[in-house]
Amino acid sequence: MGDGDRYSIETRGLTKRYGKFTAVDGFDLRVEPGEVYGLLGPNGAGKTTTIKMLCGLLRMTNGEARLLGESVPDKKISSRLGYMPQETALYEGLTAHQNIAFYGRVFGLTRTQINDRERQLLEFVDLTRWRDELVQNLSGGMKHRVSLACALIHQPPLLFLDEPTVGVDPELRASFWEYFDELKAGGVTILITTHYMDEASHCDRVGFMRSGRLIAEGTPQEILREAGASSLEDAFLALSREADRR
Amino acid sequence: MKAPRFLAVTRRIFLDLKNDKRTLALIFIAPIFAMFVFGLAFSGEVKDVRVEVVNLDKGAPGPVPGTTVSIPEKVLSNIDDETLDLHDEADLDAAIQRVKDGDAYAAIEFPEGLTAGVMAQMQGQPGAGQAEVKLYLDQSNVNVANAVVQELNQALLETSKEAGIEPPVTVDSIAIYGKGAKFIDFFVPGIMSFVVFMLTTLLTLMSFVGERTSGTLVRMLATPLRERDIVMGYAVTFSIIGIVQSSILLAIGILVFDIIIVGNVLLALLVIALLAVVSQALGILLSSMARRESQVIQFFPFIILPVFLLAGIFWPLEAIPSWLRPFSYLVPPTYSVQACRAVMLKGWGISQIWVDIVALLAFAAVFLSLATASLKVRKG
Repeated sequence: MGDGDRYSIETRGLTKRYGKFTAVDGFDLRVEPGEVYGLLGPNGAGKTTTIKMLCGLLRMTNGEARLLGESVPDKKISSRLGYMPQETALYEGLTAHQNIAFYGRVFGLTRTQINDRERQLLEFVDLTRWRDELVQNLSGGMKHRVSLACALIHQPPLLFLDEPTVGVDPELRASFWEYFDELKAGGVTILITTHYMDEASHCDRVGFMRSGRLIAEGTPQEILREAGASSLEDAFLALSREADRR
Repeated sequence: MKAPRFLAVTRRIFLDLKNDKRTLALIFIAPIFAMFVFGLAFSGEVKDVRVEVVNLDKGAPGPVPGTTVSIPEKVLSNIDDETLDLHDEADLDAAIQRVKDGDAYAAIEFPEGLTAGVMAQMQGQPGAGQAEVKLYLDQSNVNVANAVVQELNQALLETSKEAGIEPPVTVDSIAIYGKGAKFIDFFVPGIMSFVVFMLTTLLTLMSFVGERTSGTLVRMLATPLRERDIVMGYAVTFSIIGIVQSSILLAIGILVFDIIIVGNVLLALLVIALLAVVSQALGILLSSMARRESQVIQFFPFIILPVFLLAGIFWPLEAIPSWLRPFSYLVPPTYSVQACRAVMLKGWGISQIWVDIVALLAFAAVFLSLATASLKVRKG
């Protein structure tokens, strides 16, 4: 693949098959450094599978992928990736602080680094007050924020967010996008999946995924123009119908 | 130098336990509870067995004129009254009826003329037959029946000795190991393995099913942690917990039950730590077969029963049918029980128990590799 360092994420023919079922079908993706890329599509479109392959959690059946200029899967790259899974994926019996500090240690940070970074993060996600509360006593929205903090403790330049806003109330969703904008301002590349079409307008570019394939890609404005639609939701439906006809 | 990454996992599990008082109690109180329950109730000694005594013998004039000798009385005085709870009964039929009704386990009949017969025999009088004491016994409870027979035989033997009759051949047993050992001395090394095996396997199983279902396992695998780091983190945690649990058991064994320990306790603890590593790997391995935490309960019988029956914890391997015995060598605690017993009761060192240690190391190698592999399979 071409000049490796040009893209933060670059895949070619990325494919995942489970027996006869093809979850991701020859997916080509290019995300530039500092870009917020929204991967949109219905459930089962292959968004999560794509992220899991990139993070080394699933073996790819075919194709190749490079992250930050390195060929994946490669464990070495994992210290530069942030991954926020769909599930909250926290230790409910630990406090917010203990959860965050655990990931800090896993990433090999020193105690001082963990403390400094954690203080900033808790402020960032507005959880300073809840630092020493057990996660099981936190609300769903708070858990999501702790989960985000866990994914950011090692200041990764590349961030994978798998449906971070599912089941999150509108207010928190809005603040999540504020966090993401702030991260983007700090130069972080973000790949985010969602099936809330209204969120896509926050992205620099979006890709519509359907049955494991990319059916459209571009800036939100480009997509609207191409589909001749007034909302991304309508655009997606129009593009889906078109894909079906072909 | 930076601490190895797996220690982050170890620390995380300890923190989790620290916050979870209930599990903490399970880890530390369960061994104590098991020790007392099994140690006291399962002491292997039969006590207070009700036995009816029907003494029809009238005794006979003794060697010193004017005295009467009664063999039944001598025998009865030699019976340990802690084991047999003796009750006099004049009527034989009534005594037998009591056994039939389940009120007593046995009736001992000393027939009329017993003493006279024995004395005649001792003096070599012609026509004097073998003297007989009859025992009507409820043999449906094997342990109790054996205890009664054994106690009665012992008392008869002692009575004969007192009368100056020495059997032509006697057995003089000289303890090479375990002089004065009681059941509890045999049992403590076994219960150490049992408790550590059971709790470690179940706790890892439960907490690992949690890791899988909550998504934390996937999250960890997206970090620089490798599958083997996670398994190692768990292994270190549970070997430490296993050592602490065994130390508690040993302390109770020594302080409360006054057990015999002639060997190196540290070597026994090392063996237990090894068993804990094997057990936690088994727990991780089994966790891949459970989808929900509630399914864990279905594994209990399969984890506990084989070990309970086959590992030689409550009875020696020799008491297991020979066709079943090969299976004993497939359950890891068999080796740790064997090794701990040898160390604690016989004072054996590593040069004598190395076979058991090698077996446990082999189990550890296989189970750890399988556990690590079971985490990778998810990648599909």
